[in-house]
Amino acid sequence: MAAAMELRCWGADWGLPSVHTDSLVVLAYSRFSGAKLTVSHIDWTWKTLTANSPELLCGDSVVQEPAQILSFMRKQRFNADYELTARQGADTMAYIALLEEKLRPALLHTFWVDAENYTSLTRPWFASRSPFPLNFIVPSRLASIALSRILLTKGEAPLHRISEIEGKIYSDAKECLNLLSYRLGTANHFFGNSPTSLDAFVFGFVAPLHKASLPSSHLQSHLKQLENLTHFCDNILEVYFSSDHPCPPPPPPPAVQESMDANLQKLTQLVNKESNLIEKMDDNLRSSPQHKPHRLDPKPSLSSANSSSPA
Amino acid sequence: MSLAAEAFVSQMAAAEPWPENATLYQPLKEDQILLSDSASSFAVQAYLRMCGLPVQVVCRANAEYMSPSGKIPFIHVGNQVVSELGPIVQFSKAKGHSLSDGLDDVQRAEMKAYMELVNNMLLTAELFVQWCDETTVSQITRCRYGKPYSWPLNLILAYQKQWEVRRKMNAIGWGGKTVEQVYEDVSQCCQALSQRLGTQPFFFGKHPTELDALVFGHLFTILTTQLTNTELMDRVKSYSNLLSFCRRIEQTYFDSKDS
Repeated sequence: MAAAMELRCWGADWGLPSVHTDSLVVLAYSRFSGAKLTVSHIDWTWKTLTANSPELLCGDSVVQEPAQILSFMRKQRFNADYELTARQGADTMAYIALLEEKLRPALLHTFWVDAENYTSLTRPWFASRSPFPLNFIVPSRLASIALSRILLTKGEAPLHRISEIEGKIYSDAKECLNLLSYRLGTANHFFGNSPTSLDAFVFGFVAPLHKASLPSSHLQSHLKQLENLTHFCDNILEVYFSSDHPCPPPPPPPAVQESMDANLQKLTQLVNKESNLIEKMDDNLRSSPQHKPHRLDPKPSLSSANSSSPA
Repeated sequence: MSLAAEAFVSQMAAAEPWPENATLYQPLKEDQILLSDSASSFAVQAYLRMCGLPVQVVCRANAEYMSPSGKIPFIHVGNQVVSELGPIVQFSKAKGHSLSDGLDDVQRAEMKAYMELVNNMLLTAELFVQWCDETTVSQITRCRYGKPYSWPLNLILAYQKQWEVRRKMNAIGWGGKTVEQVYEDVSQCCQALSQRLGTQPFFFGKHPTELDALVFGHLFTILTTQLTNTELMDRVKSYSNLLSFCRRIEQTYFDSKDS
């Protein structure tokens, strides 16, 4: 096969091989497709300021961005999507777009913009992994990049204020997680029995949210209710990242347990809808303008549940 | 809109049926409207026609500034103003008109995913081509965007909008792309849509949904708009089932009724 490939990415913590979403996507895909990558963490080097993480070096070529790295690996004949039909490939593209549009802004907000999470978790982590004097610069730079990305893509001009769109991005993210949960169902992977690039992307986005010990996150508590997604992440970690060499995928669960899981999942989703309603009411109460009378608030959220819930 | 405002609007929307005098506002068709705005406007018009809801299209030079979110198109129904396809779909659902009720959860997830694909790839590509490609910007976009205004306002507005769009492209990582790469992305997106559509009349069986309206809006605009070169149009034309899909929707919903 090709020359040795080296991946530069952020380091590991919280039980994950990397804390950075895009790096996780690439690492997961490399395990799924059996590619051998030497992983060099950019922690504690000056590359924390200059590198575009993740970065793949192969011979002379340098590839950035997860989507391009994945297509590069496919060209090197490390292809985890080999068995997908054309339509499943199209579905993959669509779901990845859904993740980027709906889930990424909320993840950026949870980790980088939410004050409590940022000061107690994200900034200390990134600052501790950067050499002096970068530990003062790198976290705040990454945070301002995150904030400007959220505002530019989701902010409605001319009201470029984060508080206006917080509610919207979180409700979009919860809807996205619910949609992924419906699509995954009781299966171990999104398509068939073996993992594909869509599994890598979902893992990369969802795993940090699942594993990081965030002090305040209703998105994380929403995710914890979607058991099939958390099992999905744990399963991938166990099978592909527990030892240093890839293991064969586990056998599919027995049929009896599947129907029980399906019922449990239906219950879980009902609970999710309830909690969605309650959260919406909460958000409405908190964000409703001062001059609106309080008695109007409960009624709009009940009808809003009818008109805007995903199912 | 904030969640509270949205909830309030949908409650008020549910109270009244769809009136006869609903209007849709967009920029001037002949001189001013750009590719991306035209695509969004056609998507909304197609959706409303598919629901059988009457709407009049009115062209105004300052439609972008009248819109509550700054985006085109927006509809004025009764005493409410709603902009963009997503909120308009929810608004019409609150009034009892919906195209996607027959879908189950997994299909609905797929539909939303494909709508995001179109927004992520096609809309961004349209914005890129019309604001970040130097030839298109200087020959077409700048003069069209500021057409209704006199000098120097037309230039100032055009440059301001270009700066805004460039910032957005940089933020999402499209800033470093070349036009060729963007055309390639459009091809891939069209390939995905073409494979999903297959030989069916609509994306989800025999009845149209909002995804069909959105795809129609974008593809129809790309196919019928004159740009500096025909590259984008040719890429879309190479997928014959998408072409026949557009023609079918145009004939069913746009030719038989008068706008």
